[in-house]
Amino acid sequence: MSTAILTLNNIGKFFETEELETHALKSINLTINQGDYVAISGPSGCGKSTLLSIMGLLDVSSSGEYYIEGVNVTDLSLDQAADVRNAKIGFIFQSFNLIDELSVFDNVALPLRYHADKPNSATIKKRVIECLEKVGLSHRISHKPNQLSGGQQQRVAIARALVANPAVLLVDEPTGNLDSKSADQVMEVLDQLNKAGTTICMVTHDPRYADMARTKVQLLDGAILQAPSIKIAS
Amino acid sequence: MNIYLIKQAYLSLKQKPIFVFSVVSTMGITLGALLCVLTLAYVMLIKPLPYPDQDRLYHVEHQLISNENAIDGRAFTYPNLMHLYNEQSLFEQSVLMYVDGGVITSLPSEPMVAISFITPQWFSLFSAKMAIGRGFEESEKVNSYNPVAVLTYEAWQDKFNGEANVLEKSLTLGGNSYLIIGVLAKSNIEAPLAGAGFKTELYLPWDYNSISERERKRWGNDDGGLIFVGKIKEEYTENSKQQNDQILTTLVSENWQNEVSGHAFFKGWSIALKTKSLKSFIISDGERSVYLLLIGALGLLFIACANIANLFVSRTVERQQQLAISAAVGASRAQLFRNVLAETGLLMFAAILLAQFVIFVGFSVLQYYLGNFLPRIDELELSAFSFSASILLLVLLTVVFSHLCLKMINYHALNSTLQSSGKGNGIQVSKRMRNILISSQIATATALVFINVVLYKDAIELVNQPLGYQTNNITSVVLALPNAESDLKAQKVTALKAELLAHPKVKNVSQAMRPTGFGTLALTAMTTDHRYTVLGKDIDDQYFNMLKQAIVEGENFSAADIKDDRSVMIVNDVFANKLAPNGSAIGFKFKNGVEVIGVVESINLPGTQRIESRFYYPASLARNMLLIEQHQGQIFNRDEMISAMKIVDKKLSLFSFITLDEYKDRRLFSSVTTAVTTLVLAILTLLLSGLGLYGILNYSSQMRRFEIGTRMAIGAKGKDIVQLVFKDNAGALGIGLAVSFIVLLVLYLGFSETLSAYISLDLLPLFILTLGAISLLSSLACYLPLRQFIKKPVIHSLKGSE
Ligand SMILES: Nc1ncnc2c1ncn2[C@@H]1O[C@H](COP(=O)(O)OP(=O)(O)OP(=O)(O)O)[C@@H](O)[C@H]1O
Ligand SMILES: [Mg+2]
Repeated sequence: MSTAILTLNNIGKFFETEELETHALKSINLTINQGDYVAISGPSGCGKSTLLSIMGLLDVSSSGEYYIEGVNVTDLSLDQAADVRNAKIGFIFQSFNLIDELSVFDNVALPLRYHADKPNSATIKKRVIECLEKVGLSHRISHKPNQLSGGQQQRVAIARALVANPAVLLVDEPTGNLDSKSADQVMEVLDQLNKAGTTICMVTHDPRYADMARTKVQLLDGAILQAPSIKIAS
Repeated sequence: MNIYLIKQAYLSLKQKPIFVFSVVSTMGITLGALLCVLTLAYVMLIKPLPYPDQDRLYHVEHQLISNENAIDGRAFTYPNLMHLYNEQSLFEQSVLMYVDGGVITSLPSEPMVAISFITPQWFSLFSAKMAIGRGFEESEKVNSYNPVAVLTYEAWQDKFNGEANVLEKSLTLGGNSYLIIGVLAKSNIEAPLAGAGFKTELYLPWDYNSISERERKRWGNDDGGLIFVGKIKEEYTENSKQQNDQILTTLVSENWQNEVSGHAFFKGWSIALKTKSLKSFIISDGERSVYLLLIGALGLLFIACANIANLFVSRTVERQQQLAISAAVGASRAQLFRNVLAETGLLMFAAILLAQFVIFVGFSVLQYYLGNFLPRIDELELSAFSFSASILLLVLLTVVFSHLCLKMINYHALNSTLQSSGKGNGIQVSKRMRNILISSQIATATALVFINVVLYKDAIELVNQPLGYQTNNITSVVLALPNAESDLKAQKVTALKAELLAHPKVKNVSQAMRPTGFGTLALTAMTTDHRYTVLGKDIDDQYFNMLKQAIVEGENFSAADIKDDRSVMIVNDVFANKLAPNGSAIGFKFKNGVEVIGVVESINLPGTQRIESRFYYPASLARNMLLIEQHQGQIFNRDEMISAMKIVDKKLSLFSFITLDEYKDRRLFSSVTTAVTTLVLAILTLLLSGLGLYGILNYSSQMRRFEIGTRMAIGAKGKDIVQLVFKDNAGALGIGLAVSFIVLLVLYLGFSETLSAYISLDLLPLFILTLGAISLLSSLACYLPLRQFIKKPVIHSLKGSE
């Protein structure tokens, strides 16, 4: 039996604006297990990003319950949520979200600096280099993000997501801002990571990349279209 | 610049009423204040006096120099003044003046008027214009004793109801009748020779000045009311000041030395005459106030500019789309600049217009509140000076702000702004510029707040200091006694005292001047021959009891001491300590035979903190001043006083009637004004700079929104973000505080002489307090803009960056 990393029970989300109420998510039930590679796809505006930000504790749901590694995280305070994000979740954004003023090393080290364990600098250095090696960029350690290509920047972002040993990587359109060659490289890295045991949940438009995942989830108008057929890792 | 551009600018500003309001009101008010003070500084420090050949007008000071080579007095003795006036040949015109108050008894209301006794050339020297009649001429020259009078325009209107036939009338004053021969024109500007607060109402010929015949012959008594002003002859203008001073000194000194050679007291003493340009004489102490006001106004302007720069920064960021489109359709850099210039110019123009209104109001306020303290304030008006200063500021500010906006615009990046769907960076405020804005705000605010707090503390201490004597329930009265022998006067006053004591409201009467009035007198110790120049005051035996001023050693005057005019005195503790540093001053004798019989506690005079050596001696029974103490809760008013006087003698008139509390309030008025002004300025400064800092930091937080969101997404907590932003701005804060420290140090070194009264180590806590307040303000300005990010789910920060 594989362990459930993320469990969403009847998660709903609606946004209230002045004139209308948008029901972005309607009663989502989804479980992601240890070692899974889940791809979420669907038309624009169907709620993919919203779902991912709730899974990543960047936003709170309007209804339902949410568990990470069996712990209920539905109603955490902002600070508790920050700790859980730091320890359990690695984010990869469409626009990389690297901090321009910091070097590649410092960007990657950032999650460890906010870590509750306060690792010492030797540990940080070792861990950062390890992660940069995984994405093939250990030679660019002291560069600034704007000295790198888009694909390289996204791989730095992946290294940053990995550095604190999260339980799951949440990836939103990782290739949206990249040309196809760089995109392929990034997808290759993700594939390698999953093969090495990293749990990944990814939002993508591209059917080609969605096919690389082992589980596909289709969203339409805030609801899951097709029950996931979870394949057990062999 | 063409009409089209201005119209464009106008239309685009119309869309942003809040921005326009903030800029125009902040700038209009601060510019108005600055222009007010600039005009004041111009009028007081630069503007020529409004009199012909004003650069040849000089005031002459008479210095009495003791045998220890110290300046003992700075006022003329009457005979020396007359000698100078009669014999000098340095000045082509010269004027003597003496000021006093008097009661016009021929008018039913018996009003008090301010009188200047002058010699005829006053009219030509100050080019006085007449509304009707004539001024003084040869017929009123010294020793002519021609009883005529000239009224000021205001006195004509107020006291004589502007009657057209006033020239046929006479007025009675001090028993003399004067024929009114002229009224000065309304436009006349009086030279404030007797201090800013003195506004003459009535001019009388010099011969009638209130100095008694006896005093007029005394070579040793100086009187601060005696004034000499002259217009120096062309041929002497080449001379150095020292040469001219020497000419005058020689003339007066030789004569004086001959006259006083018999007096042992003046052995080794000398006289020096010092000329000073009339302009700087009139300004005297006002200069310091003007510089302080200037520093305050410039500081405020600086803060306002930093705030407005900040508003412009946000505005330009907002306009980047519009500017980008202009650039995309082919606007050159110069054209964009003209665009920005038109908008800035329009805003500054509106601000300057508002400023004119503020100036107008400011002048009235200054004239109302400072008219008695600063000279030449009457001359403040919207003038060529204020107008050209406005234009200059308008041009300067427009250019500065336009440049600032343009510096932010990276012309080449503007095009990419459009292409990259708004996520470009065509316009950004560099971190350096932000830091400069922050540092300059903090530096100015710290320095300004500190200076204001110091002045406030000083003023409030004066206001609150205990005086050491009772002021409530006591009224100070000055009588105008008819000219008569001393014995007769004594009879009248004694009768009046008895009449007053019989009044049910009156508790006690003392025959003395209000407690703050002292004269300067010289005393020589019997045994050591040491000379003391001390403040003295004549009182009776009731005085100390009434004022609750405690005798700490020896005894009070007895009724017999006063009645027999015995040679006794009571000294204050400061003087006692000088006379006998280690022992008792009781029994100390002076050359004039006077002996110290008591030591009294010192009092503080309202408005000053210095306690000098003082002594008290028996008053003559003919003394024309009374202190009247009322029973608790009773008010003995002016009318009751007058009726009591009329019972004793119909010819007695009341010169002044004022309670000690009123007098104290009057003396403290400038301290209270200072306290209020500095407090308001300090608060205004904190508020303005707080808003400014908030604006800058809010802007920079907005710019960092995306970064903040990312950091929070990977686990940073609210406190991590706050720490980050604080750390980032600590440098700018530190630089600002350091700069303010340097500014204050430079001010201290540059003005330490003038400021020494204010500076001491006690200021350290105040400085720390100021630093604390500014740091707190900066912290709030750092923290508040972050709340929008750290108090909401992270997604808000991340979304905003898309
Ligand atoms: N803060 C918000 N306020 C109001 N409505 C919102 C908000 N955020 C998202 N929505 C709405 O919720 C719905 C889902 O948005 P979401 O961003 O999750 O779509 P998406 O599937 O990620 O689309 P895309 O593929 O274009 O990125 C949309 O209809 C959107 O308009
Ligand atoms: Mg999306």
